[in-house]
Amino acid sequence: MEQPISIQIRLHLERFEPLVSLQQWEQQLLEAGLQRAAACSSFIGRVRAGQANASSASAVIALELEHYPGMTEAELQRIAESVGKRHGALACLIEHRVGRIAVNDAIVCVAVWADRRGPAQRCCQELLEELKHNAPFWKREWSADGSSQWIEGNTPL
Amino acid sequence: MGSSAPGSIRIRLFASLREQAGWAERQWLLEQPTTAEELWRTLELPGAMDAVRVAINQRFASAETPLQNGDELAFLPPISGG
Repeated sequence: MEQPISIQIRLHLERFEPLVSLQQWEQQLLEAGLQRAAACSSFIGRVRAGQANASSASAVIALELEHYPGMTEAELQRIAESVGKRHGALACLIEHRVGRIAVNDAIVCVAVWADRRGPAQRCCQELLEELKHNAPFWKREWSADGSSQWIEGNTPL
Repeated sequence: MGSSAPGSIRIRLFASLREQAGWAERQWLLEQPTTAEELWRTLELPGAMDAVRVAINQRFASAETPLQNGDELAFLPPISGG
């Protein structure tokens, strides 16, 4: 019989520490009665530091993440259910920042529990790609001189 | 819902699109059956609609879906999360 996937979605309005999130998530899964999975894959994305050759005025000092309250959470849930099921995952975690985020701070944390490394890693990668393309989030880069620019599209893999 | 009787919908814009248009949301009277695609032209929203996705009641939808009284229509510029 097919086991339901445990899914946790969380948006953070303030800075979060992904390693703490991962530890808490695993603890909650164990407390809920799940057996520790043989394979766990995770990804943490952080705000990239400004480019070395950029002038100090145009260097990016922060990102701003806008979302569509309600729809963003619902899309993340749908993505986790669909991708998790396709890969036979046991549990999926998606945590994402919104608001203004400083350089080096975490933007996103995705993690998957599965029976084997293949599904765990593939599911984790697909979750990330799906959310980057299909969950309503919009990034704006803020520069040291106070100017800002909306980013349309994603960075290369 | 589901009737063609006159009513209104809520229209929402996000991120770059909101700033270019200069407004975030408005109510729109549905005097006749219409779609997101037709409203995009009527409202003279900036840029090409090709790059924009449509959500109706917080689900992705076709721009040709007939809008119903009480719907929440959103125009979403290109997504850039993660």
